[in-house]
Amino acid sequence: MSLPGNYSVVNWGEMMDSSVHLDNVVMRFGHFTAVQKTDLKIESGEFFSFLGPSGCGKTTILNMISGFLDPTEGAVHIGGRDMRSVPANKRPTSMIFQNLALFPLMTVAENIEFGLEVRGVKKAERKKASDRLLELVALSGSGKKKVSELSGGQKQRIAIARALAVEPQVLLLDEPLSALDLKLRQHMRAELKEIQRKTGITFIYITHDQGEALTMSDRVAVMSAGKLQQVADPITLYREPATAFAASFVGENNGLKGTVKSVDNGQAVIDCGPLGIFPGKQVGNISVGEQATLFIRPEQISINQSNQSAHIEAKIEEINFEGSYLTLNANTDCDRSLSVQISSEQYTDALVPGARTTLSFRPEDAVIIAGGDHV
Amino acid sequence: MKSETILRWGVRFYIGVFFLYLFTPLIIMGIATFNDSRFPTVSPWKGATLKWFDVLAQDGAMWDALLTSVIVAFGVLVVAVPIGVCCALFLSTVQGRGKSFLYSLMMSPLLTPGVIVGISTLIFWKGLSVSGGMVLTVIAQTTFIAAYVMLMILARLQRFDRTLEHAAQSLGATSWQTFRRVLLPYLKPAIVSAAVIAFLQSFENYNTTLFVKGYDTTLTVYIASKVRTGLTPAVNALGLVMILATVLLAVVYEIKKRSEVRVVKL
Amino acid sequence: MYKQLAERFGGGLAAGIIAMIAIWLLGMVILPQLLMVDYSFRPNLLPSEIGGPKDSYSLINYETLFNNSIHLSIFFKTIWSSVLVTFLTLLVSYPLAYYLAKVATPKQAALCILLLIIPFWINEILRTFSWYIILAYKGPLNALLLALGWIDRPVRFLSGDGGVMIGMVYAYILFMIFPLYNAIESLDLNQIKAARNLGAGWIRTHYRVIIPHAKPGIATGCIMTFMLAAGSYAVPALLGSPGSRWFTQIIYNWFFEGGNWNQGAAYAFLLLILCIGFIALIMKIFKVGLGDIAK
Repeated sequence: MSLPGNYSVVNWGEMMDSSVHLDNVVMRFGHFTAVQKTDLKIESGEFFSFLGPSGCGKTTILNMISGFLDPTEGAVHIGGRDMRSVPANKRPTSMIFQNLALFPLMTVAENIEFGLEVRGVKKAERKKASDRLLELVALSGSGKKKVSELSGGQKQRIAIARALAVEPQVLLLDEPLSALDLKLRQHMRAELKEIQRKTGITFIYITHDQGEALTMSDRVAVMSAGKLQQVADPITLYREPATAFAASFVGENNGLKGTVKSVDNGQAVIDCGPLGIFPGKQVGNISVGEQATLFIRPEQISINQSNQSAHIEAKIEEINFEGSYLTLNANTDCDRSLSVQISSEQYTDALVPGARTTLSFRPEDAVIIAGGDHV
Repeated sequence: MKSETILRWGVRFYIGVFFLYLFTPLIIMGIATFNDSRFPTVSPWKGATLKWFDVLAQDGAMWDALLTSVIVAFGVLVVAVPIGVCCALFLSTVQGRGKSFLYSLMMSPLLTPGVIVGISTLIFWKGLSVSGGMVLTVIAQTTFIAAYVMLMILARLQRFDRTLEHAAQSLGATSWQTFRRVLLPYLKPAIVSAAVIAFLQSFENYNTTLFVKGYDTTLTVYIASKVRTGLTPAVNALGLVMILATVLLAVVYEIKKRSEVRVVKL
Repeated sequence: MYKQLAERFGGGLAAGIIAMIAIWLLGMVILPQLLMVDYSFRPNLLPSEIGGPKDSYSLINYETLFNNSIHLSIFFKTIWSSVLVTFLTLLVSYPLAYYLAKVATPKQAALCILLLIIPFWINEILRTFSWYIILAYKGPLNALLLALGWIDRPVRFLSGDGGVMIGMVYAYILFMIFPLYNAIESLDLNQIKAARNLGAGWIRTHYRVIIPHAKPGIATGCIMTFMLAAGSYAVPALLGSPGSRWFTQIIYNWFFEGGNWNQGAAYAFLLLILCIGFIALIMKIFKVGLGDIAK
């Protein structure tokens, strides 16, 4: 799908404030706390993702923004307005559901026009709007079709068109791509990003797929067990994880557990027992003697380069050729498996399963974070 | 292998006998209509005639009873279907204590003998100085037919995806608009089915009606009274007409239902 | 509960739903039943005496039944015959339900179900009436049996309980077949194969695998059939003779011939208790809840 350059579906006011503020919200169901106290501001026009495993509370947050759930404490503000007394159907949001929730008994056009119909918009105007939206999602002329006649990707687009038809200030997307196959999913990522750019409205996206979150988002909030772990742009999130969870959940990572030996001016040293003692960047509050984890990305580990300061002796167990790069599984002498990624040029015939090798990394590439029991 | 073959033939034989048992009475009743005999029978055969249809057509009481049945059945349909729909909506929405008790209570009219439904209605309304007749028949029949409607609607509601309602709300629909535009169209086939069933249940009811009918006579009551007094093959003629009408209706209904299922499966 | 309804349907519709349910449950289900019970404990009085000194609760209406040996024997006959009808219906229905659920191809099953449903759509009175024709003294069944030489003179099918029971099995068979069919159908075919594979014979497979699985269906079918049989008025009225009266007919007579509604209410309440007792018994035997029955 490509959007006409001068395209504007509706008059999404660029001046309009469509920020979302979660003002110290808490959500409890009985004794269970689904979302712990969260204070977060999502900017106007931002593509913002909540990333986390299922059950981490991300969908609960979406439901609080959409108005399907009322926070136990705190309030949601949209465009600066307190939403506490505003029911779901009066909020300037619209939602794209995981199962899309297209109305099966209505035609495609009726689906798209539904939001306008319930607002009392006249038939002719509705028709105009649905035609424009169908054009936006590259499905012109499909208005009279039944929903059941559409393919998965087409349904996806209709769901987007339907949600956009009501001119929301904030579009809420609840894992909308999870039902699609891999190829279509990657294609739809680009389309969603494009639509967001064209319309300029705030997108709040829920996913457990880090690839989706990292490729589309301006900022990502990583969540675990009802708690925000880190809110950052994708690059920061990847390079400078703030918590052990964020470090292990976003991207591939190797975690080495140990005890903090020293902390000095942003640098820390961790004692990983028989594996060795390693320096790394300090993240957050850690103190000497505390349990902590050192994280090092597979692509930051080099092999057979003695000029680096941190060394681990290991035996290669498995090599996978992935095209431009290779992944290695190396087992250290104390039976800790590490994942290593090297570029194809670094490959030599000596790299065979069973061969011994020295793994090394630069201290500035490693981070040392408190905790990390689940790693 | 041999015992399997015997078993298979045994099953076939059983199925055959079973359907013979199911349909012979209806066929014999139909044939007896055309027997030129004063009593409805097929043996001995006294020659073919169509005169019992004439006798039937000239039976004014029968036509009155038919009219009464139709009025009552429409009355039941109009009252029982909304009640049943409301119960199903209630059960599919609420959670928590008391629900299973209410469910049992709503089911209880189906597990109560029809005569008792009739008797309790008769006694209750006597206290309010309403005596037997069409109105009371509608009320008494509604008591249990509403429960049938409830079960039918509930079966469809259980397959309803409630995110559709959330979707409608998220698009700005009020709860009434959501109900009107999303849930009600979804329930429509079940409501139509339930209405047809309610109509037929009312039309053919005897046990309950007998106690609350007062001086009004429904067609079923009329047939029963004819069987016991003044039995002629005119009753068969009436039966045959009703059977053909119901079979026609049943086949149309079943075919329609099947084609709907097919559409849904697509 | 109102809150949950109002959240989904809005206040107005929620109130309407509750009002409709209240009208039905209170006005048509609960209060009439309670009043019937109340009635059954009061003596049959002239209108002028109601509210007077004679209008007090007593067990007199119930004593009438236990002092009337004919009524009592009809009461027990009704129970016994209804149990027999239930059992016969189960026996006849089980093989067919099993065939439909597990043996027949989907096409065959669909056809059979359609064939089963057609007579069900036809009025109970008419279905019973057709048996009246068949079983008549000079009817086709006797003619057939005579012609075959199986009997020497016609049998009076309609003078005993036999005719009533044949008619009842016929009238209520679908209320047994469909619950059975639904229950057996949900059984995984592999379980049957596994049982066979482990060397279980057909009888053992049914006894140990299929019947235990079909318990809720058997319970539902038995409850419905018993309730319909014990509460039937049409079938005994059409196919019975004065010598084979049913308890419902006695009740009817109290209302419309004896003119003693209080007495009739007591009899009706006993019939209701009988049915409730049977339901409770079946649910205990089969260890199923009321929730299973609706399916």
